[in-house]
Amino acid sequence: MSNTQDVANFVALSAILTGIAADKLAPNVDPINIKQTYFDTTQQEAGQPFQQMLAQYSTLKSAGKSDDQIATAILHGSGNAIGNTARSIMALWYLGGWYPSDGSAPHVVSSNAYTQGWSWRVAQAHPMGFSQLRYGYWTSVPPTLKDFVGNGG
Amino acid sequence: MSPCNDKQYDVVIVGGGISGAMIAKQLGLAGKRVLIVEAGAPLPVNNNADLERFYKSVVKVPEAPYTPEIVDPPGSTTPSNPNLQNTPRPTSSVLSADDWQNPNASMLIQKGPLPFSSTYERVAGGTTRHWLGTSLRFLPSDFEMAKVYPALNWPNWPLTYDDLVPWYGRAEHEMGVSADKNDQAYLGMTFPADYEYAMPKILQSLLDDTLSQGVAGMQLFDQPVTVTSTPQGRNSRPYQSRRVCAGNTNCIPICPIEAKYDATVTLKQALNTGNVDILYQTVATEILIDTASGQVTQINCVQYDTQTGDKSGECSVAGTIFVVAAHAIETPKLLLMSNKQIAAGIANRSGLVGKNLMDHPIYLAWALMPEPVFPYRGPLSTSGIESLRDGPFRKDRAAFRIEIGNEGWNFPISDPYTTTLDFINGTNHSNLNPQNRQLFGADLVAALNHNFVRQFRLGFLMEQEPETSNYIVPSPEYTDHLGIPRPEIHYNLSDYTKRGFVAAKQAADAIFNKLGATQFTSQPDPNNPSYFEIDGEAFTFFGAGHIVGTYTMGTDPSSSVVQATQKTWDHDNLYLVGSGVFPTVTTANPTLTITAMALLAADAIKQDLG
Repeated sequence: MSNTQDVANFVALSAILTGIAADKLAPNVDPINIKQTYFDTTQQEAGQPFQQMLAQYSTLKSAGKSDDQIATAILHGSGNAIGNTARSIMALWYLGGWYPSDGSAPHVVSSNAYTQGWSWRVAQAHPMGFSQLRYGYWTSVPPTLKDFVGNGG
Repeated sequence: MSPCNDKQYDVVIVGGGISGAMIAKQLGLAGKRVLIVEAGAPLPVNNNADLERFYKSVVKVPEAPYTPEIVDPPGSTTPSNPNLQNTPRPTSSVLSADDWQNPNASMLIQKGPLPFSSTYERVAGGTTRHWLGTSLRFLPSDFEMAKVYPALNWPNWPLTYDDLVPWYGRAEHEMGVSADKNDQAYLGMTFPADYEYAMPKILQSLLDDTLSQGVAGMQLFDQPVTVTSTPQGRNSRPYQSRRVCAGNTNCIPICPIEAKYDATVTLKQALNTGNVDILYQTVATEILIDTASGQVTQINCVQYDTQTGDKSGECSVAGTIFVVAAHAIETPKLLLMSNKQIAAGIANRSGLVGKNLMDHPIYLAWALMPEPVFPYRGPLSTSGIESLRDGPFRKDRAAFRIEIGNEGWNFPISDPYTTTLDFINGTNHSNLNPQNRQLFGADLVAALNHNFVRQFRLGFLMEQEPETSNYIVPSPEYTDHLGIPRPEIHYNLSDYTKRGFVAAKQAADAIFNKLGATQFTSQPDPNNPSYFEIDGEAFTFFGAGHIVGTYTMGTDPSSSVVQATQKTWDHDNLYLVGSGVFPTVTTANPTLTITAMALLAADAIKQDLG
């Protein structure tokens, strides 16, 4: 089970790893609440390394480390189990599926997970089969990358 | 065998795809009583279940949204076992070196030497459930290859472009095709002065504009290189109570808002005439004739309740006229399975049933534009290069059209998946990450964005030479779960066809060079079942889903199976429709011509019935 602080830390760390603003990953008004789906998926798939990763994030954050330092420590300085879990979490946000680090077959978490995927938005587009745009939009340049991902883009 | 129901029918149609639906609607409107026998699942009330299956599929191939499930269990990557399914069908996910000749994975029994790489659906609406929507007409020369290029020794069609013009017009309005006839008047195609397509053309993409400007003035093979908007069976205006295209970039495998035409539209209209009945989950197994008159008397069927359950019954259907509309693999299979009364099978005096199997083998090339073109937006394809479909070169090698893809590198390398995982995990399957960088944060976003917004691909649809050595027969070894033989395929590409790939590669290289684009087309893998070499160059190919030519039409019963009306030469109350009647595969996507020919057949059937 998750508590509110764990989920908040999960979103904050996810934002550092993915490069997508926290308020884009988890908007204030969030009826889809994909963050909870992804938190639960990661908990189920990764278990202990996930808990260790969240604890380490808290420690690093409290110690005043920068985002780059936190990401580098989690991805490369905390052992394979934690690093691989972090990379699976990045793929989860980008593609909506769980990609096991051992290369075994991925699975799509849910239809919402697919339609909330960030790879297509980083392409300044929309998940294939999930356009909420209108006829002819493809004749114009899309909104800026920053409009999609927040942050500097 | 007892009848499937106790009603009398004027016409029995096997197959509820686009040909069957078009014919049923026309006959139903004319007050004829029609029964359709459909092997697969019923018309869905809406597409929610199909869309859900698509969203949750890891393997998002064209067949993924439809039934039966292509993977077992659902959501996995393990191919379903066709031995255990009542209506298995080919899927593009089992064309790998491991699976293509594995009868526990591939529904087609592939004897090679090359893989037949196209697939079809067995559900109400047929393969239009996952079609692209491209609705090009064939060129005048496509119908008269024997006349224009006599040295090839190819057959002419038994009708010309001019003969088909009125039928094309009707087909374009039945389906709802968006196009501008002024754009389509190339390479000899003409339109009546008062003719208009059903809707204005679909707006072209930023990529189309960039390509069009980039290749301006370019010539290849002594022909101009011209980008032309593609006629498409999707709505640029509300049409037939369906919505306007919203650019979901997902025409294959499923349009979420049904702005793309598919045959379920016409099938519903047919059923709404009140004169058309349909039996679902009913698989035709044998055509019986009266040996004295040669007329078809009944078609035997088996029925099932669930996809993996035992058959639930056997029954027969009968009418005055019979139409087999089960496309170019299942139709000849049924004719050849019906061999108790005539050893060679039904309608097979010529010996050509099942022969001359063709496709548009595809050469795929991909590149990055120097500047963003913003793919993954709009319909999957809004333009093509059609100007290379005909020319003097055609006497020596296969001609092709070039389909311009708006979906980045989705077709070539399953992007955005592959590139995303490369930059997260430090791999280089995309060839975009040669330094095996593992990125995060803003660097990850920047690298992905830089590549994604510049991606584009060209698909070269090759006109395959008709050859009797490419054929389908009922497998003597393997059956589906109903005990019905599965299709056994013998398939190869001739040197004429293969030389088209050499020209396609030359064209791709020249076009990318002219655009200043950086090419990433991968080196052909000798382990890929579709690998071949020609003139010292290596290639692999994809299927186009254009299954053509296994019961060809002509003017001579010794060299064709059906007449121009698509009535068989051998049985005067049996029609065979669909792309199997095409004598040649031509240089364009087949569905519009399938529809035009189906409407022509419907008229002939009406005349027969009086």
